[in-house]
Amino acid sequence: MSDEKHKVVYVAHPASGLARSNFPLECHVEDGEIVRSLPFYIPDDVRLYEIKTSRGSFTRPRKEVQMPLAFAAKRRLDAGTRVKYPLLRNDWSPDNPNPENRGKSGYSRISWDQALDIVTGQIKQIHEKYGSMEPVLVQADGHGHSGYMQSLHFWGHYLFDMIREHLGWGWWTQQVRNPDSWEGYYWGAKHVWGFDHTLGEPYQDAVWDDVLESAEMVIFSGNDPEATGLGMSGSSALEMPKWLKRAGIKIIAISPDLNYAAAVHADKWIPLKPNTDAALYFGVAHTWIAEGTYDKDYIASHTTGFDEFKSHVLGKDDGVEKTPAWAAEITGVPAHTIRALAREWAAKKTSLSVYFGGAKVRGTLSHLATRLEAYVLAMQGIGRPGRQFLRTGAPSFYKKDLAQVPRYPDVDFKGVAMNPMIEYAIGKGPISPIFVPRTLAAEAIQCSSVEWRGTTAALAKTEDQFEQYHFPPDSDHPGIRMVWNENGSQPGSWGHGWDWLEALQNPKIEFVVGVHPWLENDIPYSDLILPAQTSYEHEDLITVQRSDILAMFYQDQAVEPVGESKSDFEIHRMIGQRLGLDEAFPPVEEWLQAAYEKTLAATKHGIDWEEFKKRKYFVYDCPTWEEWVDIKKEHGYGEKDGGMHWFWKSGGGLDTPSGKIEFVSSMIAERDPDNTERPPLAKWMTHAEQQGGPKSEEYPLSVMSNHSRFRFHVQGDDVDWIREIAKVRGPDGYLYEPCWINPADAAARGIKGGDIVMVHNDRGSVLCGAVVTERIIAGAVSVDHGAKMDLATLHNRLVDRGGCINLIAPSPKEKYGEGEEIKVPEMNVSGYLAEIVKVDPAEIVASTGVGEGATVSHG
Amino acid sequence: MDNKTFLIDVDKCTGCMLCSIACKDEHVGSSYEPWSKPQPDTGQFWMNIRPLERGRIPRVRMSYLPVHCQNCENAPCITVCPEAAIKTRDDGLVWIDPVPCTGCDLCLDACPYGVIFMNDDLGIAQKCTGCAHRVDEGLEPRCVDVCPHEAITFGEVKDTSQLETYLAEAGAEPRVYWNGLPKPWIAGQVIDGDEVIEGVSVTAVDLAGDGSVGVLSDAFGDFWLMGLKQGRKYRVEIRMDGYEDFNADVVTDADQDLGTVVLKAK
Repeated sequence: MSDEKHKVVYVAHPASGLARSNFPLECHVEDGEIVRSLPFYIPDDVRLYEIKTSRGSFTRPRKEVQMPLAFAAKRRLDAGTRVKYPLLRNDWSPDNPNPENRGKSGYSRISWDQALDIVTGQIKQIHEKYGSMEPVLVQADGHGHSGYMQSLHFWGHYLFDMIREHLGWGWWTQQVRNPDSWEGYYWGAKHVWGFDHTLGEPYQDAVWDDVLESAEMVIFSGNDPEATGLGMSGSSALEMPKWLKRAGIKIIAISPDLNYAAAVHADKWIPLKPNTDAALYFGVAHTWIAEGTYDKDYIASHTTGFDEFKSHVLGKDDGVEKTPAWAAEITGVPAHTIRALAREWAAKKTSLSVYFGGAKVRGTLSHLATRLEAYVLAMQGIGRPGRQFLRTGAPSFYKKDLAQVPRYPDVDFKGVAMNPMIEYAIGKGPISPIFVPRTLAAEAIQCSSVEWRGTTAALAKTEDQFEQYHFPPDSDHPGIRMVWNENGSQPGSWGHGWDWLEALQNPKIEFVVGVHPWLENDIPYSDLILPAQTSYEHEDLITVQRSDILAMFYQDQAVEPVGESKSDFEIHRMIGQRLGLDEAFPPVEEWLQAAYEKTLAATKHGIDWEEFKKRKYFVYDCPTWEEWVDIKKEHGYGEKDGGMHWFWKSGGGLDTPSGKIEFVSSMIAERDPDNTERPPLAKWMTHAEQQGGPKSEEYPLSVMSNHSRFRFHVQGDDVDWIREIAKVRGPDGYLYEPCWINPADAAARGIKGGDIVMVHNDRGSVLCGAVVTERIIAGAVSVDHGAKMDLATLHNRLVDRGGCINLIAPSPKEKYGEGEEIKVPEMNVSGYLAEIVKVDPAEIVASTGVGEGATVSHG
Repeated sequence: MDNKTFLIDVDKCTGCMLCSIACKDEHVGSSYEPWSKPQPDTGQFWMNIRPLERGRIPRVRMSYLPVHCQNCENAPCITVCPEAAIKTRDDGLVWIDPVPCTGCDLCLDACPYGVIFMNDDLGIAQKCTGCAHRVDEGLEPRCVDVCPHEAITFGEVKDTSQLETYLAEAGAEPRVYWNGLPKPWIAGQVIDGDEVIEGVSVTAVDLAGDGSVGVLSDAFGDFWLMGLKQGRKYRVEIRMDGYEDFNADVVTDADQDLGTVVLKAK
């Protein structure tokens, strides 16, 4: 099919990241242009799995679609936002960096030679001036458009590690990526049941075998396979709810919003106020205790500390009984519905389902929601048939021994290439001893010192959460002087975005490098922008690891690079070369070939590198059901067993000190008993961002925030096809980010659908387009994270017309006084207070679209 | 030539918009003559999803209608076109020949489905071609190819007796068939004091005819009387041993929700 004029190329889709991917799209290229992108069809000679149950046999289709953005991503190649050449900020110079103008001043095109001179000159200057690389904050931990190697965003860490190793210039300051999507499970549930290796979520071994055989009800706790699931896991996530329905399993959706999967799949929606899930679980537990409908034998044999929990539920310790009526006040869910839920949950074999965890795990004190979730799952005997923690789609590492669906264990282990660079982003701890959590990046610049507990590294052991860390390392330290930004996602994907933008304007910061394909997010706050490529513009490997079927693809270069863009790898290689680090950056082909040759496709199936490049892909067979049953047997599972069955059978073996489910965390009790923010037993507690507190008098609404259905985090919001389906057209014709608001709240504020509204609190303001809908509970508004910033002025105040809601999300530091230790450096991007007012479009003073008014000259 | 057509299953559609985006991917910037000239970058939706938000908190659901050219037998667009530019292929796909089309826009108003668009730059009217260029090669239309839920299929439809057409009352005799077109529901919840009641008999009696639909309330006390007739008056009869009868007259001009019905013990 391929010839000069027409070729077919498999290209990693934009929701790839962390060197891992989904199935790619089949891109058709004609005369150097991508004319269409088609779903990939798994060839007929690849054996798919079958999950055999008494309710029927379950498999997946051969067609593999991806999120809509994937099919529109070609529009980003030459978009108006594209960085085509190295760009230097007009009023930056080494002697006079004008830091306060970052985000305001324009850019001019410079040559690669000039750009490399500047960047290496600045690195050397840091070394000469401060004696080490510690003043360089390297932000290279993902959340952007990313491939296996070439457009990977981890190379900054590698570069500075090589500078350390080969030039002896010392450590750099590593920004450590906190477990963003899993926050609540990481800071909370880990203390109840461990699972350090899977960020606090129970293993998924063969879980579908059990659920489809035995479950009668599945609770979607904020889970949205139609949005997050499709983006991360492709078609398989869309099939899973259909399996549940075909097996006759009821789906109950619990979430403030009627999300996209719930709107079509749920048999019952229980709307609750944002981030009040813990209170709902208390009400459920109370019903079970009052009616004696929990698994007392399991509690006795598999858990510790239940009596203290029971006592708290009954109010014996604090005088407040956590009845359904009590929970109703907090959650907005009627007491009768809480009791009905509790009774159904006890009577029916019920599993609880998430993809990552939803908005409930990304708010203030989100450890409460996940600890209570673990408690109530324990009360009904998690691991018993049909009673599981269920992910609707799971990357291959989510296991003890076995995959979620029938797969050969060696394929999971050695089927797809692992990129060692991942250690810099998703590791057991920082590589550099000088580091700051991503949640505290702004504070590390703005405050004289920051102290916190826990490295926040994704795979760190629970014990790490009690270790004390600080930045800078000592009082004479220069702190952060240079920022190396490969992420381009901080204000849109993380919290308190306005603070981060201000931090970038701090006079201490001498130099900011952005490495990115587009002028978006915080990239227009850089002094030097290096033009990175998209996946269409270079060859790479595609390691299909997030799907239910594993595969390796060879990605050809689909089109010529736009402008003078280079791959992320190449950009860092060129910089390394100027610093004499040639050997640390072998040619791309060598790197890819070595990675491929370690996979089973080469070692077991005998397809050498050259042949693989011709074939373009290798999709791994799944075992037959009979083979799968044998594999399970080898690992101690019976034919129908799966999920936490092993724990139900053994009653021990968890990562907790006791090996059991701990209602009262023995580790917190031993190491941090006086931490009132996270006591050994999860108790109901109030905080500043809750309704009913003093702050809610001024800001009565609670903002919830999901992953967008049409963006991938901050990516894709500039695509015209996406904007016209995903946005709200204001009366001024501008496409605003949707803000869902309940009809009662809208009426009280004189807001109609399509109105421009300002969502605001103490931290600032963003503009949105109102969507008045029954899909959001009263008292809450829903705005997805990651909209493209477009700064404007309203009543002489800087506002974001783009609707980038995380700009006004809280910092973890707000709970503490200046200089106080941050005991839980959690991410807060949902469930915080704000108010909404209607805005007259005539009062908005627009910007030019880059930063606060910057322009780009390619002249 | 095969006489294939589209079958749309509303019950399967999740509103993911992949069909709309795939259509743009195929047609924006690409010409498939004689059937079509390029679709403009934005503004046209040859396949579009019409979302229907239904019900009231907490009984809310979405229905999505993927709407494209219904390839009508009695197409008003064909009748109204002064240039005879709109034609029906032998296989039944209706297309606008871009060569004779003058962009007079009469067809836009004539179409009962609102699926014809003006391309101001090219001065022509444009719409879905059923991906005639792909169909001729034995391929599926792009919206069908990309649909992950088999909500949009394309093939021989032999037995249409159980199927519906969309806006049949417009009289265009569409050749696209539908399953699961939304019908009004009457929903609600029954409680006694502060407890929901399961197993309550709820019946909607069609006061204009002799039909009735009945359900039992579920474990949350919720009931959903589905698939009712549009614009009818129903008597909703709620019956449970030990409780007084509850009746309400409801007109199904839209989905109706009775809210929380408190039954009184006898």
